Amino acid sequence: MTTVVPAQQSRGGGSSGLYDVLELVLDRGLVIDAFVRVSLVGIEILKIDARVVVASVDTYLRFAEACNRLDLESGPHSDPGLPDLVGEITESGARGKSKGVLSGAAETISHAFQQGRDGDDGEEEPRRRRAPRKKAAASGSGSRSGTARTDDEE
Amino acid sequence: MSTYVYGIAECSHPDLPDGTTGVGEPARAVRTVVENGLAAVVSDAPEGLRPKRRDLMAHQRVLYRAEADGPVLPMRFGSIAPDDASVRGVLAERGRHFRERLKALAGKVEYNVKATHQEAAVLRHVMAHNPHIKELSDANNAAGGGSYQQRMRLGELVVAAVQAQEAEDAERLYRMLEPAAAGVAAGPESAAWVANVSFLVDRASVEAFTAAVERVRADRPHLELRVNGPLPPYSFVEPGPAAPAVPRGAGHVSETVE
Repeated sequence: MTTVVPAQQSRGGGSSGLYDVLELVLDRGLVIDAFVRVSLVGIEILKIDARVVVASVDTYLRFAEACNRLDLESGPHSDPGLPDLVGEITESGARGKSKGVLSGAAETISHAFQQGRDGDDGEEEPRRRRAPRKKAAASGSGSRSGTARTDDEE
Repeated sequence: MSTYVYGIAECSHPDLPDGTTGVGEPARAVRTVVENGLAAVVSDAPEGLRPKRRDLMAHQRVLYRAEADGPVLPMRFGSIAPDDASVRGVLAERGRHFRERLKALAGKVEYNVKATHQEAAVLRHVMAHNPHIKELSDANNAAGGGSYQQRMRLGELVVAAVQAQEAEDAERLYRMLEPAAAGVAAGPESAAWVANVSFLVDRASVEAFTAAVERVRADRPHLELRVNGPLPPYSFVEPGPAAPAVPRGAGHVSETVE
């Protein structure tokens, strides 16, 4: 059971160990009040009890459309458009009432990686695992340059 | 010089990292600060430390190496003491608590499991099990997409059905994995996960746990599971029963932004 850091078992191809456990490193673990903690300004761990699917008019319409599209497809496993579909649905679902928070955090997380990658001598960036975040980050205010507000890299 | 703290172990820990690289650029050397039979794994704290990928990785790596040879209480990323003396002070003051936790966590590791829906598969599942929804969808398609009201009606039903499925899947995952674990803790809640749960797993039971994960995969093919572990037991550093992980309650869709 000796494995690399952090060991990972996942299906569906390559993935990022760190990205998946980032929240644990940042939001779990021992906290001792006598110690100071590094400012995580900008790295807001999402505290949203938002299920993937949030009830909103926007979501309803998106899902109706998604169903219709599925209906038109043939066969149970015709998934060529799946990633896009997933991205669209979940992004709009989460966007319902929490867009600012969600996209903001997605930006900061991706930005943290961006920074790290810049300083990591080409170490491979963890493949971000889900279209919604990527999309949220991309569709957030002002793309990647807009993330500068989060964690100033000099 | 302030001191960055990675984790706390018993002095008897056979192989605490020493001289390996920690956070910072250039990476600071990892050493131990010993007091009261306990050892804090530390390094000098770099100025202006930020949660960058390199440093997050360094934190994780130091803990992972230490954890491989014996229990370590992982600190949250970014914990900085004013100096080594204050680290000693904390070890002296809270030794009992640390020892209790180290004992409880000995031989155990954390596995974090995240589940997401494969949306297309879930939608098909929902339509297959709700003839009414399928009919509405067919009718809308026949009508070139349907009117606004018709689409709203369909979407509302689908969303409700998918939400119910999320709750059911989360509960199912919990029920299937919990018996193979020594502890359960809800992961930090975040958008886009059907479930995010950490399990404390005895090293001797890792195979049983991963087998249980495979059973969930077989049982719920529309769930995508991501399993990360073994990890230092970040989610189990505090005593007491873990927060209820799953279920969060069917149909409960609050959007509390804290």
